[in-house]
Amino acid sequence: MAGRANIPTNSSALIAIIADEDTVTGFLLAGVGNVDLRKKTNYLIVDNKTTVKQIEDAFKEFTSREDIAIVLISQYVANMIRFLVDGYNKPVPAILEIPSKDHPYDPAHDSVLSRVKYLFSAESVASDRR
Amino acid sequence: MAAATEELQFLGSIPGPEGAGEVDGAVAEEGRPRGGDNEEILRFMDSVDGYLLLMDSLSSALRQGWLDLASARHSMGPSRVSSTLFDHKEQSAATKLQVVDRDGLKPSEPKPHFALSKWSLQEECHSTYDVSERAFTEPKMRHRGSVTTPENGNYESANTTASSTGADASNHVQRARSKALSVFGGLVSPKLRTAQLSFETALDLIVELANSRSNMLASFSQLKE
Repeated sequence: MAGRANIPTNSSALIAIIADEDTVTGFLLAGVGNVDLRKKTNYLIVDNKTTVKQIEDAFKEFTSREDIAIVLISQYVANMIRFLVDGYNKPVPAILEIPSKDHPYDPAHDSVLSRVKYLFSAESVASDRR
Repeated sequence: MAAATEELQFLGSIPGPEGAGEVDGAVAEEGRPRGGDNEEILRFMDSVDGYLLLMDSLSSALRQGWLDLASARHSMGPSRVSSTLFDHKEQSAATKLQVVDRDGLKPSEPKPHFALSKWSLQEECHSTYDVSERAFTEPKMRHRGSVTTPENGNYESANTTASSTGADASNHVQRARSKALSVFGGLVSPKLRTAQLSFETALDLIVELANSRSNMLASFSQLKE
């Protein structure tokens, strides 16, 4: 049908992770780590030596791979490439911003909630009522 | 929920019920049923609320996992719990996702649904489920402690098969978990095992979050129109 984004049914898709070392280690313990024939992994460990370009490249790669269904990205890392994350609007892979050890989750910066926030604007309603 | 609907009406994006009060059956001026709009708004608000609650649960699960990981690192030593130990040889993920496209409210609206397949258990789970399903859908009463009657014979054998298949699945999961832990050596801290369970819980929540996100965006698309 015209204009419909095709979501191929996939019975063995991966979860990609762009996060700090402890978060990646934890999820690898849970069995999500994958290394293919070309030694490409489905995770990127972000530390103080990781450049914004590396994060951008990893994000673009994970969101273009057909074998990845969810991309987990620490919210503080997503803030470094906010323009890329907010500009992404495909249904699959789903981008989920997760908290990290030193940066708790902030719904105000979540790209999904930012997209739908204009329906709320509780603050503007409350200020009108005063 | 009524307060939330009222707030949305203040924004002017959703017409209020007052304007359609004269028409019984609540058909909007544009010809759309009013009840349908309210229902969609409620669905959207529910999905946003669910998303935020799940995110809160995920934060808790992750915090527990980080704490256990830090404890394991303290007892095993920093060099034994480190990303430098990760094997870069070819390996397939043991925990994967299934993605199915469920049509949104309109045919042009994609709505993916995600399901988690932990520790490559998909085939084992299906076989366990099938046997268990047959065992419990037989129209027979369960007789606790009574194993000698012929009517219970079939139930007993199905139940034994189900439990043995369940035991196989459990053994498989334990082996898979041990394999994931073996990256950090033969003997690992119990805290590393509990960290593994915490992150597995986090994975379950993440899949629910992905589905909640999918529902939220589908409802939002419907409301925008």
